[in-house]
Amino acid sequence: MSSAPLLAINDIGIRFGGLAAVQDFFLHMPPRSLYGLIGPNGAGKTTVFNLITGVYQTQTGAMLLEGQPLGGLPPHRITSAGIARTFQNIRLFGDLSVLDNVMLACQLRAKNRIAGTLVRSRASVGEEAAIRMRSLELLDVFDLRARADEPAQSLPYGHQRQLEIVRALATEPKVLLLDEPAAGMNSGEKRQLAQTIRRIRDEFQLAILLIEHDMELVMEICERITVLDHGVTIASGPPEQIQCDPKVIEAYLGVADDEGAEEQSSKGAEEK
Amino acid sequence: MAEFLQTVETSLAVGALYALIALGYTMVYGILKFINFAHSDIVVLGAWISLRIATEVLPKLGIDPRAAPWWAGGAVLLASMAACSIIGFVIERTCYKPLRRAPRLNVLITAIGVSLLLQNLGQLDLFFGTQPARMPSLLPNTPLVQWEFGTEGASRRLVIGLVDVVIFLTAGTLMVLLELLVYRSKLGAAMRAVSFNTETASLMGINVDRIVSLTFMIGSALAAAAGFLYAMKYPGLNQPAHTIWVLLGLKAFVAAVIGGIGNVRGAVIGGFVIAAVEQFGAFYISSNYRDFYVFVLLILMLLVRPTGLLGSTVKVKV
Amino acid sequence: MPSNAAHSPIVLREADALRPPRGHALLRGIGPLLIGVAIAAVMQWGVGPFVGTYVARILLDVGIAIILAVSLNIVNGLAGQFSLGHAGFSALGGYAAGSITYYGSLILWNSSVKHGGPFGAGEWLFVAACLTGGLVAAGAGFIVGLPALRLRGDYLAIATLGFGEIVRVMLQQTGDVIYSARALEQATVNDFFPPPLGGSLGFSGIPTYTSLFWVYLFCAVTIVVAQRLKFSAAGRAMVSIREDEIAAQAMGVNITKWKVRAFVISAFFAGVAGALFAHESGVIISPGDAGFQRSIEIVIMVVLGGKGSITGVLLAAAILSTLPEFLRDFAQYRMIIYALLLIGMMLLRPQGLFGNHEIWDYFKRRRKSSS
Repeated sequence: MSSAPLLAINDIGIRFGGLAAVQDFFLHMPPRSLYGLIGPNGAGKTTVFNLITGVYQTQTGAMLLEGQPLGGLPPHRITSAGIARTFQNIRLFGDLSVLDNVMLACQLRAKNRIAGTLVRSRASVGEEAAIRMRSLELLDVFDLRARADEPAQSLPYGHQRQLEIVRALATEPKVLLLDEPAAGMNSGEKRQLAQTIRRIRDEFQLAILLIEHDMELVMEICERITVLDHGVTIASGPPEQIQCDPKVIEAYLGVADDEGAEEQSSKGAEEK
Repeated sequence: MAEFLQTVETSLAVGALYALIALGYTMVYGILKFINFAHSDIVVLGAWISLRIATEVLPKLGIDPRAAPWWAGGAVLLASMAACSIIGFVIERTCYKPLRRAPRLNVLITAIGVSLLLQNLGQLDLFFGTQPARMPSLLPNTPLVQWEFGTEGASRRLVIGLVDVVIFLTAGTLMVLLELLVYRSKLGAAMRAVSFNTETASLMGINVDRIVSLTFMIGSALAAAAGFLYAMKYPGLNQPAHTIWVLLGLKAFVAAVIGGIGNVRGAVIGGFVIAAVEQFGAFYISSNYRDFYVFVLLILMLLVRPTGLLGSTVKVKV
Repeated sequence: MPSNAAHSPIVLREADALRPPRGHALLRGIGPLLIGVAIAAVMQWGVGPFVGTYVARILLDVGIAIILAVSLNIVNGLAGQFSLGHAGFSALGGYAAGSITYYGSLILWNSSVKHGGPFGAGEWLFVAACLTGGLVAAGAGFIVGLPALRLRGDYLAIATLGFGEIVRVMLQQTGDVIYSARALEQATVNDFFPPPLGGSLGFSGIPTYTSLFWVYLFCAVTIVVAQRLKFSAAGRAMVSIREDEIAAQAMGVNITKWKVRAFVISAFFAGVAGALFAHESGVIISPGDAGFQRSIEIVIMVVLGGKGSITGVLLAAAILSTLPEFLRDFAQYRMIIYALLLIGMMLLRPQGLFGNHEIWDYFKRRRKSSS
């Protein structure tokens, strides 16, 4: 059972202008795995997420989720196929309440008949109540229930990151892509986040792919790590192996100690 | 053949007018990213101020507007441009500057408010009133060139009038000056920097407020010139709130979009394209639908290449 | 926490158990509409006869403005798609409905004047025409919406503006109205090309069925629909598009589908409003009613009301359509005051009267009366 990958990504890539942002990217994730994707800024990590979630269309290769091809599907179809993501630069619906943010994601699995909504049929009222109940349950993952009615934009930064994860979970994904969930957290919060990520994986029985800058966090929780540099996979393997890989040390670990400066420059570099 | 050339000639003159107006739309959009709906009203002001100067100021100076010396027209033009650029400056400072950080829709509504204000102030008897008026012809509209085509009996004439030539040359000169200003001067570099990224530009020490004001003043001056030239070509001026002005502005705006809104050269090309489509459509298909061709072209353009002929595509960041 | 079973989504597992009891559901479903009927009846028979024709006429205009503004708010306020073509849809609906009642009356009753009393045959023809007008506009909304919605922000605004202007020019080129049943019988195919809708002078002679009852009934329907959309999965989907299209897609929202839906629903009610307008006594619907100046008036109502706020927009529509009447004493200054108010409002209260909120967020008690 576990031999067949849940998510199989074979040789995807994209060029922007003449520049290969990502090329020859392979990733096979078994069910309930927790993998990491690391690399220096501008290495193409977020671009990989954008390729998987259909924001960009891959120009080569193929992606399969439980054997079903994902290539060419628009982003919303990929989400309903079972891949959810968070965003590096938080993209909550700021004017909507915390609860509504989660309900929006939750309703993906509901029928949402528009005629039913307009006549307020029993089925649609029941559905709405179920969406609300489930959303409130999900907010408990991060103790956000108490703030359910506040506008999302009024949450503190850390809570916004958590809400992004809750929102992604609400789409009932099979694979969850987390883009720098620990950004801006202190070490205590990071340790808590590591536990939460494991707990999410176990409770929701998901495969999780994590982009993260904090090496300690990645090494601690990820079973396998893929390292990107300039869009090319330079190493892939369990954390112990990655830690001693000379190419990785050269490309990544050597510059990893001034994170603050990197984050500044990442905005432009990552999106070329 | 004669009809064809005549249509080309009209297209060039009308196109120059559209281009002048389109420049104002495109410059404001380039820098502040909003559609300045009040721009067409500046054209109206330009035309009516010219008329007032010609009918009231010139006689006081002892100049008969119907037999004015050659420089009188130029003086009226410059006076009108100066007046409108001051008005443009005041509007920008009072109505748009406080909204620099507001949602663009709000700025748009404010522009509509300004437009309504100008139209209705203009209708007051204190200013221009609600009656149409006739612009004195500062130029004798003598045909410069007359060519006969075809055989006798079925001959057609091609007439190139002085007014059209003056329109084309004046507009052309202004556009060349603007081109030099935007692409060849330090000030132009600052304008382009603000248009590209306002925040970075201000970090680089550019005084953004001054550049924005300047943009409005230049745009308004060009609009005033267009208004003056329009009054030369079509001396029967409608009252300031007439739909004909709104349509003139709308079509010039379409020209800016077709050329690629935010792009100065695009606006000029767009102006001539719109005029050609309108004039040729009116002459060869049916003049009832002249507005129709322009807006259909707009829709087609938006569907095929929404950023216009010379516009660049902006990649959405994720 | 429940495990991830293969078929039924977790979110729906409790849905059936959470269905409300039948009677309660029926009451909540139909109740607001019954209130709407009651309000419409009060307007028609309780208010209309006592305020005189002048005020009654203003009340009609207010009702129609509310339908237009609340419906535009669906596409503009909720879904965040800036349309400058709302008057175009409205005029299409008005012309379609007007031609049905006018030529229908000529064929059925040999005369284009109002036929029958309250709820008589003529009035039902009128209601059917209003709905058809709505459908015609909705169809146009679909045709325009599908390609235009690939455009973002200002470009969509420009394209819809172009659409409205095209409608205006096309309506100008229609032919003369056929004035009698006799003439209609004798008309040849040529008399229908271009369609006999009055040309640039407008479509005159449309029977004047529009009454306070029908205006406020449709008004109530529009408000109920807008309110139900807003506070439902549909509303969340639309608002998510307004807030962030990429995030919306990542949450599984089919943004094209929802944009088109917003456009079609919004256009439908614009068409109904146009139909009511066309049948108003003392009104001749004309091509100018499709132009962008009319569209802008409606946009202003939405912005002043606050994006997405149904009650705010409702109030703004009522204020803005009566304001010129209040300023009547100032004659030529009234539009100047209107313009200054508009600019001042944008400078001082840019989020509109109520921002994103509804009136009841401020006064919880008022909830009943406005839905």
